[in-house]
Amino acid sequence: MRRTLTLCSWMALASACGEPAPPPRAGGDTTIEDRTSLAFAQPAPNLSAEHFERHREGDAAFGAVFVPGPAPVNPGLGPLFNNNSCNACHLRNGRGMPVMGPGPQRTQLLVRVSLPEGERSHPNGPVPVPGLGAQVADQATHGFTPEASVTLSWVEEEGAYGDGTPYRLRRPGIHIARSDGAPLPPELLTSLRLPPPVFGLGLLEAVDVSTLRALEDADDLNGDGISGRLNEVWDVQAGALAPGRFGLKANSPNLLQQSAEAYFNDMGVTSPLFPEPDGAHDLPRETLEAAVFYAQSLAVPARTALGDAEVQHGEELFLAAGCGHCHRELLETGEHPLPELAHQRIHPYTDMLLHDMGAGLADGRPDGVADGQEWRTAPLWGLGLTQTVLPYAGYLHDGRARTLEEAILWHGGEAERSREHFRTLSATERAALVKFLGSL
Amino acid sequence: MSLPRCSLHLLVLTGALALTACGSDGGAEQSRFQPEIITHFADDVVVPTYQQLATRLATLDSAVAALSAGPTSAQLTAAQEAWIAARAPWEQSEGFLFGPVDSFGYDPALDSWPVNRTDLDAVLASNDAFTPEYVRNLQETQKGFHTVEYLLFGEGRTKKVEDLTQRQLDYLKALATELKSVSAALASEWSQSVEGRPPYRDVLASAGQAGNTAYPSVQAAAQEMVGGIINILDEVANGKIADPYDAKDPQLVESQFAYNSLKDFTDNLRSVENVYLGRLPGATPKGPSLADFVKGERPELDTRIRQELTAAIDALGRIPEPFRDAITDPAAAGEIEAAQAAIRKAQNTFESDVKPLIQ
Repeated sequence: MRRTLTLCSWMALASACGEPAPPPRAGGDTTIEDRTSLAFAQPAPNLSAEHFERHREGDAAFGAVFVPGPAPVNPGLGPLFNNNSCNACHLRNGRGMPVMGPGPQRTQLLVRVSLPEGERSHPNGPVPVPGLGAQVADQATHGFTPEASVTLSWVEEEGAYGDGTPYRLRRPGIHIARSDGAPLPPELLTSLRLPPPVFGLGLLEAVDVSTLRALEDADDLNGDGISGRLNEVWDVQAGALAPGRFGLKANSPNLLQQSAEAYFNDMGVTSPLFPEPDGAHDLPRETLEAAVFYAQSLAVPARTALGDAEVQHGEELFLAAGCGHCHRELLETGEHPLPELAHQRIHPYTDMLLHDMGAGLADGRPDGVADGQEWRTAPLWGLGLTQTVLPYAGYLHDGRARTLEEAILWHGGEAERSREHFRTLSATERAALVKFLGSL
Repeated sequence: MSLPRCSLHLLVLTGALALTACGSDGGAEQSRFQPEIITHFADDVVVPTYQQLATRLATLDSAVAALSAGPTSAQLTAAQEAWIAARAPWEQSEGFLFGPVDSFGYDPALDSWPVNRTDLDAVLASNDAFTPEYVRNLQETQKGFHTVEYLLFGEGRTKKVEDLTQRQLDYLKALATELKSVSAALASEWSQSVEGRPPYRDVLASAGQAGNTAYPSVQAAAQEMVGGIINILDEVANGKIADPYDAKDPQLVESQFAYNSLKDFTDNLRSVENVYLGRLPGATPKGPSLADFVKGERPELDTRIRQELTAAIDALGRIPEPFRDAITDPAAAGEIEAAQAAIRKAQNTFESDVKPLIQ
């Protein structure tokens, strides 16, 4: 039966034996030693017995496949949707496959849409597109028509490293065809999104906003070429603007809202945060909270190969290239309702801030205060496990990068200097830097 | 922001970490886990299991086509038996649910639950033609093993051939054809080069070789094997059995229409045996296995594992089928809980005794 339930973690064992240094505890006390395809789907090893049980319940909620009601099990899908369970897009809790359309692969990408001018659904929110809203629902239950179909195609372009070695990058193109045949507004803004990994999110939620504020440098006052600012997004429960943390453009303030948005927008499942017009909802609050708890209480896999000289050299090159200005290795968490997440020294390799990533990666679609070229720094922890967890999974916000090298080469804007640093390294040095990323 | 190494070391030493034997990362000590164990696992367990699945789903497709062309009781029975036979290799693959099975959506395409009866009824009531493209576009919850099971066996395994409408037969035929095609694609991904991707068998079998980013060490692949074993033992005891048993809810029971639940669970345990022993049931191991490695390290542990797996399978055999009724029958509670205990015991052994051997 399709149901992910992985509840046994590799014990937190570290090999010593004269090694210069054991692995940094990537997720503090939530760290596990696991380099397998299940590495993103383990409970944090420091959970209390009670929280371990809640994690199990959350695992079931996260794996639950929804069907249209009325139904004895998991009713509430649709009528319009992108996919039918959390797991269906967050495959094994990792990055997804950059695919769209019918067939067994289904759609793991989704397309956010908006208009540049008009009435916003809420402060700092998108301007919805008539007939599409803010996200294209390309699936529908029987008897309903999807809003549109989306066709994905790839355009390849050539480039070369400083030493003349050629490489090829690919850029996605999407074609949206509305089911009713109506033309799309010419000013339509689109953003293609691949699901990011699910683990470690509770720790990122537990970082004090003051810690992140201290990292902001919106006007680059320190003149290092790197700005960085928190998104400001609508907090549905507070009814006010709040710092954005989650999502590829940090357009959601907390995991409860992020999850409720995913249930509502991706699966057509209503919840207390996004109910039906009459206030009813498909999902009980406890199920929503269970799914959130699951994401919060997953373990973070530890780094590997710390004693490897090439990995160590790669880490030096990573820092020398300035990657660590945004992909900050170390953060500390503050208070969190889940005590297992509080006051942890973590190694997520992100500053949680928005940065201008250049025209090459731009979606041109503002989201909160993020403009069309800004993206939130992606955490790099567990990066090396991406394709162990899901073979052929893609990197970057739309999965365009097939390899870590391609992902680096797409960096522009504030990261252009770092990218050029990488592009002009020798082949040996590039391999070392990538091997370091693979050890995360 | 990189933390100096000395303080990292201190950080870890002061943390609650157990320091144990050396792993492969520093190369301080070579593990006795032979790479050939991984190769044989790929070639003699994973690949033939998926090939058997493809073969048996092709047989199901033929049986359903015959049933659809001229429905008789004998043909319904033949199709039901073909479904049960195809179920075995799928359940025996659940001890190694990694690789292309998730990347390409084969798992949900084959094995989604629950059955989406609302849309299934609507599709059957419609005049839509069941073309391959039409079926490809349907949700996974209205096709796959369990929708075919629902149509072939009915609620309470009461299906008679005269209950089947031509519309249902046409739909069954379309679903069986898609199952055949999905399982063939899954088998190919492991054994052949597809669209420039190497056979996934190569990715596993080349663990630890230069350039293998999925499994940079043999230990990583060994952990994948043991992790898969622990995962499915946990799933059977604490998910497949516990969820419906604790909730007393027959709707949560796997393979409930065919009354095949306990056979499913038993085949999950066979999957563990296959991975551990490095062979399919009835076959002779062609090379070193995980069992050989364990035996070399701790002979008494190997003996215990074999006994515990046999005991767990026997314990499942003592639960009365249909499992969907047993979960609410007080007389069966003892057997159900004994089976859970036996499976958890094996799980604990792999977790506590085998895993540390391959760290």
